[in-house]
Amino acid sequence: MASEERTQEILKELRDAVVNYDEDKVVEWSNIAIDEGVDPFVATIDGLADGMIEVGDLYNKKEYFVPELLMCSDALYAGLDILKPAIEASGRKPEAKGSIVLGVVEGDVHDIGKNLIKMMFEVAGWTVYDLGKDVPLEKFLEEQLRTDCDIVGLSALMTTSMVSMPEIIKKLKEKNPNVRIMLGGAPITPEVVEKYGADGFAQSAGTAVDEAIRLIKMLKEEEMGK
Amino acid sequence: MNSELNSRERVLRFFGKEEIDRVPVFSGMGNVTVHGLEKYSWKFADIHVEAHKMAGMAASTFQLFGFECAVVPFDMGVEAEALGAGVNFYSTHTDVVYPTISKKVAEKVEDLDIRVPSDLAKAGRIPLVTEAIRLLKEEVGSQVAIGAWVLGPYTLAGQLVDIGDLAKMAFKKTDMVHELLDTLAGVLIEISRIYREAGADYMTIREMGAGPDILSPRIFKTLIRPHLEQIFDAIESPKILHICGSTDSIIEEMALCGADGVSVDQKNNAAESRKKIGNELLLLGNFDPYGPMVQMDASQVGQVIKKCIDDGVDALWPGCDFWPDVKKENMEALIAAAQKYGKL
Repeated sequence: MASEERTQEILKELRDAVVNYDEDKVVEWSNIAIDEGVDPFVATIDGLADGMIEVGDLYNKKEYFVPELLMCSDALYAGLDILKPAIEASGRKPEAKGSIVLGVVEGDVHDIGKNLIKMMFEVAGWTVYDLGKDVPLEKFLEEQLRTDCDIVGLSALMTTSMVSMPEIIKKLKEKNPNVRIMLGGAPITPEVVEKYGADGFAQSAGTAVDEAIRLIKMLKEEEMGK
Repeated sequence: MNSELNSRERVLRFFGKEEIDRVPVFSGMGNVTVHGLEKYSWKFADIHVEAHKMAGMAASTFQLFGFECAVVPFDMGVEAEALGAGVNFYSTHTDVVYPTISKKVAEKVEDLDIRVPSDLAKAGRIPLVTEAIRLLKEEVGSQVAIGAWVLGPYTLAGQLVDIGDLAKMAFKKTDMVHELLDTLAGVLIEISRIYREAGADYMTIREMGAGPDILSPRIFKTLIRPHLEQIFDAIESPKILHICGSTDSIIEEMALCGADGVSVDQKNNAAESRKKIGNELLLLGNFDPYGPMVQMDASQVGQVIKKCIDDGVDALWPGCDFWPDVKKENMEALIAAAQKYGKL
């Protein structure tokens, strides 16, 4: 069992490796975390996910751009590949915090923002139902009903593909008034969210990470409060 | 000033930097509206694949509202399709869904082996777009300027391979991406030449995939700009560079690409950009084609347009393709505002 000091060191190495998009280092320190008995769930949340939070900050400060975000995300996944089985093996099931159906709306094939959101929800222990890209309207509806998920995330990069959103939202809310709808994509503004009757939004890949981060922070606080 | 200028004369004189009566209101990008579709009872999906419908729709916004251009094509798959990508036209849809790339040429940049057709004029839908330009020339060519556009090389690359892989490779294997962009620049020069020869009066190069929402200004300068210069060096004037999204941090770099004008959207601080790029280069923009044209009350359009002019744009020009669902009254308000606030 690693000492508190050693644990902090390992978590810092994990964070830094994600921020520096150093996949090899992430793999190395994820293995060290396991070998030295650091709780793999802690290593995921306070190591990998914290690193990604810093990456989101760097994006917002315009020090990082999409290539860096993607490389950091690859690094995070490299760590997750090691830590996730360890979490499962430890018998400590990260209680599902909730579930989300995610997809890029029909007429749009750009999925970078959606994939970043997906990653952060996965890290946080949510169940993610990923419908992929160019997803027909009915598919969101079917999947929501099938999974009874808490959130439906609709993404569109192009203004031209945003057109189908109001109809999907209307139908989702008709079927299930409690479902929360998150919109993502460059053309999405607070006005659009309000007009379309959605609940939240993320405008860019960076704010997509941000939105997910906001949620994860909230979950972490809940966790600590327990 | 002679107030008898028709739209074509106004736009061509504008590009030629000759005296004009007022600021022109036009675009280098798609501007089809549902009102045009209604006029002809055409399906949106068909206007991308039938030359006479493409031409008819391109002219319809001018004919219905006096918007001063006829621009083709409407979708972002033409160039990629000519290089072997698959395009989904959503042909069973009756509503407006823009075509998308359904099949990439390769997933990864390193696996991409571009085979440029020996005769691009015959590749994919290029002959169809060319035919639409010819039809426009015949039918409305004396009244309105005809525009055509292609994607920029990086944005086109993002249609051919996975965008995420491309972004990472732009960072990790810059030389490989340089080589790809060099090939694509050559393709785009040739397509531009074909469109101009068919009768397009001006070309717009849309490199929206390479702006600071995606790539750092540093990569824009070292990786993107050289290939845009390559294109603008080789194609005829008038020629415009368009990048949407946040462009404040690269507007000076955009100005150095060799275009006659730069086109930006509402996220650009146009007043600042005017100062940064000086008065020699045209600044085209930058009203939001969605908020003011689709959502707002028509009575609010005038103020949006007035602000563009006060900020110093040379032409009233939307920041993106028109949203087809634009309101009639707002289109009328747009043209009225150009006449009211745009007097020179």
